[in-house]
Amino acid sequence: MEIEDENNFKLRPMKCELNYLSRSDGSAILAQGETVVLVSVNGPLDIKSTSQSIEKATLEVLFCTKGGKPSVADRFKENIIRQTCETAILGCLYPRTGISLTIQELEDFGGLLTCTVNCACLALLNSGIAMRHMVAAVCCAVSEEGNLVLEPSYTQVQSASALLYFVFDSRERNLVTGFTEGSFSENTYEEALARCRLASDVVFDFYRDIVKQYSDVI
Amino acid sequence: MKISIGDVVLPGDYCEEISQVAEKSKVIIGPGLRKEVDRVYITKPGVLKKRNPGTFWVDSYQKRYVPSRGENVIGVVVQKAGDIFRVEIGGSITAALSYLSFEGATKKNRPEVQVGDVVYAKMLVASKDMEPELVCVDSHGKKGRLGVLSDGFVFKCSLNLIRKILNPNCPLLETLKNEWPFEVAAGMNGRIWIKANSMRETIAVGNAILGAEYLNDEEIRSMCNNIAAILAGHVS
Repeated sequence: MEIEDENNFKLRPMKCELNYLSRSDGSAILAQGETVVLVSVNGPLDIKSTSQSIEKATLEVLFCTKGGKPSVADRFKENIIRQTCETAILGCLYPRTGISLTIQELEDFGGLLTCTVNCACLALLNSGIAMRHMVAAVCCAVSEEGNLVLEPSYTQVQSASALLYFVFDSRERNLVTGFTEGSFSENTYEEALARCRLASDVVFDFYRDIVKQYSDVI
Repeated sequence: MKISIGDVVLPGDYCEEISQVAEKSKVIIGPGLRKEVDRVYITKPGVLKKRNPGTFWVDSYQKRYVPSRGENVIGVVVQKAGDIFRVEIGGSITAALSYLSFEGATKKNRPEVQVGDVVYAKMLVASKDMEPELVCVDSHGKKGRLGVLSDGFVFKCSLNLIRKILNPNCPLLETLKNEWPFEVAAGMNGRIWIKANSMRETIAVGNAILGAEYLNDEEIRSMCNNIAAILAGHVS
């Protein structure tokens, strides 16, 4: 297995704009490489009493694909994002309310899910909802030769033998969410986890840069 | 990450300075800060501010209002339910306003408030577990500046803009008030009510306020002068 220099990460270039939508409480558009996602956050707002929870805010996630047709795969993505964001948000401060997260896929050239999670985190930051910590998602592919590729491109995703997704928190870099596709060895998993954990710092630094840029103006 | 006063902070960061001050004297932690077992953690992105001796808070960008006690807000009456009015204030649920909490109101002498009226009221109860409650009188039973706002024009903006224009150092209203007469009420829930003599003047005030969001003091002054010149007809 090829081992790179541990401090030399090449994540795909990230570009972001906060407050992209004027009417929603918080919104962000994020491009990671050629993958682009737009997320809008509304809340805390009133929701119907059957879905209210007396101890915390209910998170509703709606994922819209580029084609617009809902599918089972989208429900899976919604679930991952909901569970990830629920750990990040301090829902106990807003009991009996709902927070709705609407995600629109604009371009998918690999790593859509990591881009979505990161964009959702930026939109939540923009909305001013209290959060325990931030989250950063990093994707890692295992190529056919068994090499690890961080943030794979579209062609690399197509040819990969396995894909590993990890989401980390910003406090202790603990694993929040992790899921995998394909087959791989235990060692590969450990190695990918360690690399992605280090790479998550790049994402967190990016968040800080973005918020710094906006705090001067706002 | 460890941060200090004046820095741009993000959720999950912690500040040891607050804990150090807390060892010696009392501290007040405001919005965007939360004490957990061992440390004080940040919960909102923004700039960490301090006012001596021991008040800390995070100045963050927000559009959605979360009720908090003692703030003056502008709301719209949406329902009359028995002895209370339900007022929409932009929070997650409507707030309750008792008909007895108006100046001089008694059980016999009900205040004249209709559905659709705009009221300027103070937040009396604002807890996350209870319905917010408003009053239109102070503790002496006087209405002061609170009460129904008749005529005028209401628009929404971000919560930061309200805090900005209400800041005593902000030159916006100071400059504008010398140019032409108008009345303005700013609710901490991100709503502004304006009443001027003509529609032209009302729109001019509204545009001046909305335009001030991303400007510094000097730019605000020149913008106000510009608007005043246009309004006076010197520039078309």
